[in-house]
Amino acid sequence: MSDFTKRKSKEEVISSLKGIALEMHNKMERGTPPTMTLPVRSKTNIAFDQKLEVYKYGKKKTIRDATSLGSARQLLRSLYVTEFIEQMIEAGKSSTLREMYYISESWGHGKFGTQNDSNNLAEDLEIVTKCLREDFKLRPEEDGARIIGDVTFEEKNRKGDWMRINCRDDVGDSGYGVPYNVESEKLKLITEDVDFIMAIETGGMFDRLVENGFDEDARCALIHLKGQPARSTRRIMRRMSDEWKKPIIVFSDCDPWSFRIFASIAYGAIKTAHISEYLATKGAHYLGITADDILAYDLPSDDLTKQDLNALDAELTDPRFNSGYWKEQINLMKELGKKAEQQSLAKYGLDFVTDTYLPEKLSAIGLDY
Amino acid sequence: MVDAREITSKQKQIAVSEFFEKNKHFLGFDSLQRSLITAVKESVDNSLDACEEARILPNISVQIDRLKGDEIRLVTQDNGPGIPRDAVEHVFGKFLLGSRFHAIRQTRGQQGIGITGVVMYSQLTTGVKTKVTSKIASDSSAVFVDIGLDTRKNRAIKSREKRDVWFDDITGEVVEHGLRIEARMKGKYQRGKQSVFQYLRMTSIVNPHATISLVVRDRDGEVYEQGSWKRTTDKLPRVVEEIKPHPHGIQLGTLQRMLRESEERKMTSFLRHNFSGVSMRAAKEILSLAEINENRSPKRISTNDANGMLNGFQNVKLLPPPTDCLSPIDDLLIKKGLSKAIDSRFAATVTRNPTVSQGNPFQIEVGLVFGGDLTADGPIEVLRFANRVPLMYQQGGCALTKAIESIDWKRYGLDHPGGKGLPKGAAAVLIHLASTNVQFTSEAKEAVADNDEVFEEIRRALLEVGRGLKNHLKKKSQRKKAKEKFELINVILPEISKKSSKLLGKPEPNLSPVITQIMNAVFCEETLGWNSEQKLATCIIEVYNYTARARAYTILVKWPESDTVKIAVNPLGGRKEAKGIWAWRIETLDPGCSTTINIGISGLTKGDWVDTDIFFRGNGDIIGATKIDETLLEEIRKMEALSAAQNEINEQYSETEVNHLIQRAETAAKSELEKEIIETPTPESNSSSIQNGSPTLFDDYNTEELE
Repeated sequence: MSDFTKRKSKEEVISSLKGIALEMHNKMERGTPPTMTLPVRSKTNIAFDQKLEVYKYGKKKTIRDATSLGSARQLLRSLYVTEFIEQMIEAGKSSTLREMYYISESWGHGKFGTQNDSNNLAEDLEIVTKCLREDFKLRPEEDGARIIGDVTFEEKNRKGDWMRINCRDDVGDSGYGVPYNVESEKLKLITEDVDFIMAIETGGMFDRLVENGFDEDARCALIHLKGQPARSTRRIMRRMSDEWKKPIIVFSDCDPWSFRIFASIAYGAIKTAHISEYLATKGAHYLGITADDILAYDLPSDDLTKQDLNALDAELTDPRFNSGYWKEQINLMKELGKKAEQQSLAKYGLDFVTDTYLPEKLSAIGLDY
Repeated sequence: MVDAREITSKQKQIAVSEFFEKNKHFLGFDSLQRSLITAVKESVDNSLDACEEARILPNISVQIDRLKGDEIRLVTQDNGPGIPRDAVEHVFGKFLLGSRFHAIRQTRGQQGIGITGVVMYSQLTTGVKTKVTSKIASDSSAVFVDIGLDTRKNRAIKSREKRDVWFDDITGEVVEHGLRIEARMKGKYQRGKQSVFQYLRMTSIVNPHATISLVVRDRDGEVYEQGSWKRTTDKLPRVVEEIKPHPHGIQLGTLQRMLRESEERKMTSFLRHNFSGVSMRAAKEILSLAEINENRSPKRISTNDANGMLNGFQNVKLLPPPTDCLSPIDDLLIKKGLSKAIDSRFAATVTRNPTVSQGNPFQIEVGLVFGGDLTADGPIEVLRFANRVPLMYQQGGCALTKAIESIDWKRYGLDHPGGKGLPKGAAAVLIHLASTNVQFTSEAKEAVADNDEVFEEIRRALLEVGRGLKNHLKKKSQRKKAKEKFELINVILPEISKKSSKLLGKPEPNLSPVITQIMNAVFCEETLGWNSEQKLATCIIEVYNYTARARAYTILVKWPESDTVKIAVNPLGGRKEAKGIWAWRIETLDPGCSTTINIGISGLTKGDWVDTDIFFRGNGDIIGATKIDETLLEEIRKMEALSAAQNEINEQYSETEVNHLIQRAETAAKSELEKEIIETPTPESNSSSIQNGSPTLFDDYNTEELE
């Protein structure tokens, strides 16, 4: 197990955070500007980790030093955040990232400019200290996924009692809402009676599959990703894959952004590459819609925009897409100059997706039903 | 049988009203909107000219009221000298067509057909006579009279004439002298770029000595638009001298007419007395080239001989025409005028020396304002003027606009997509062409015709203000950077130190070596201000040394030195380096230390001195100051010596010939000098600061972008 998956004690968290202050203080004592050392967080610094089988940050480091006003402010903010987290740990409280953003109003020159600043800094601190933001008592506000299917969890409710929930029988049409914390102290995976787990990009398609009873017909659990999946969504998929040994199938639109969603699920996201082994599910499978589906099923499509083309070109130099399959898909999409939505399948009727498209695609990878 | 005289007279009668009808568009009376602007223009131009001649500071008010239908009432009033009773019908009732070719000087009234056009237009569109009230200082009462036009006889018809005391409509006081014109005409008031408001706003910029006001009222008496532009100077424009034409600008027809009307008996005296720039020697050379006997009578010169003379004009060395016939606005006054009309952060103005094109003296003035209220999206605002008259139409076809478009504005910090058309950004550019003979593209007199010399002069002036803008923008970004650094070391760093020490329970480290490492530079910051108690323009220069070793510098500041502008407060002493350049020596500036220089300047008014350049001499850069270019400084001293010598000669001899000779010598010396500077490569030591486009020191030297 890596540094990340091993949960840290309060004392360990505080002492790692103080390491940041120590780096700054030591530099100043030596008469040089204070610094904070971070790995470079871009596609140029992610590499496949043979042992973990996911993409992780490489060796490139960036040094944030107090020679410009912006960086100096970031350093000061880190110190304020350290102090704030220490206080929360002592008091046994937690706060959302957004709450921290508002609390920073009283931090004078350490105040955040935007919510994005505070989110990024929380991630910086995770990376530098090798702690999780859950250790920092910081919660995201991101919307967790919804699940429908014959799988059963136990979730600890606010009263501290374990509550058993079957995601087919105990939920309404909107499914089971995945909480932000899906670690074992909060959520247990109990039983399942499915053959695979299908992650769906758009709400419209998720609802279509639910209405058509696809989860029961195909013996699967459906997860609505809600666009770029939140950390907890990726984490619960990883746990279901690890603990239940079920394949994860991704069904998304056919555009450059959907490819990135898949990459963050299967290989690890660039922003969270420090915890890829904890969030990414190796072996997740991209079912569709593929670029060749646009041709094979003669789907209604839109022209690629300039931004789409730029995104595709960027993917061609992204190490995560450096495989024969992805190069072919990306180049084919560029050649067609087209993209298509999941819901374009409705061209052939509302049941086409469940009666024809998915069975054909699944059977091609040996998941007949 | 009809008398022959009657026939010619009749033809003439028809011609006058027909002429107006046919040429309405040339005369500026085409659309309802434009007719109103033209009417205002004719009367305001007249007022300004009259006040200038009578040496009165003009107060001009314009009032426009909408009446029924398309009709409007236009009332203009000035505090000028007024018109004597006998002259009223002459001024308001005659078309003065054709130009007075013997008298050449710069006047506003080169456009249109004057106030008679207003009377004519009013009569044609509404049938209502124009009410004129005139009071001259020497009369005890004012003349009140209605003026109409007898188009058959081409003269004014006066009616309801009376004499009375004239009380001002608004103040109710007795008017000492002035003129009031009330006309009723068809017209339309429209707001925008081509409006009476814009015309008056532009007029006020180039006539900073005038106070102008405008009120436009709707039919119900509600104020629709109003403007008020107060004078920013009590200095009237200089009286312009009339000059004789210069041979280089003469065409055959004109020459023949001059020969015919000449009263001289000999050709030599004809040439010397009727032209400027022709000496006895030159006259003889021209005549010998044209193979004309010096003693021949001018009246008897044939077309062929006249052609020979024209040829001689081009091939004989002539003195340039005198340029005191021009009335530039003066760069400081343009700056005031611009800042009165436009709220901006930066203003640069340049008045070029007068020069000559085809025998016509002309002078270019340019102003550029940036920032403030100006909007950043869309092309810059162009303010064009010819002889202090705003040009409001045909902007695209005008040589003044083309000159702006020919500059690579990107180099000077403005957005210039594709390097074509007008640049974009929060800027306005003013161009004033003063000339005894402004060449327009058409009779409408709204666009200046292409002329290489004029074009080149405008370009040089624009490059100068452009450099000023670039310098301003560079300084702005430097200042921002410096401010950030100061915040970093004075605020953020101490807090990082405090906070980290507290978290770790350790003592706070000594920050001074850290600060030196972060800054590692010498900073200079100047603040210009105004001391209202002592009436002094102040400049405070602070120099901070944030490097690890002691420094020594000479700090130089550019200030607007003149006969009336002096340094009144200067505790540190220092010395004069050249005209407008003062220098102080800072012997030692230890690491982490700062020093302050402050001066107070008398003879300026608030807002005159808002931007300056700081230079330094010494090793290592100073952020916020420019390394001084010693070669340029040397040239300035030379020029100073030259002009001092010239003043001495001027005092000894006052003969015009001598002046001309000096002028020529000066022009020659200056152009030599310009050439030399362009050709001399910049010395190594200065190359870094000069080549990346930092400001050159002095206005008349162009070290960049000269083809």
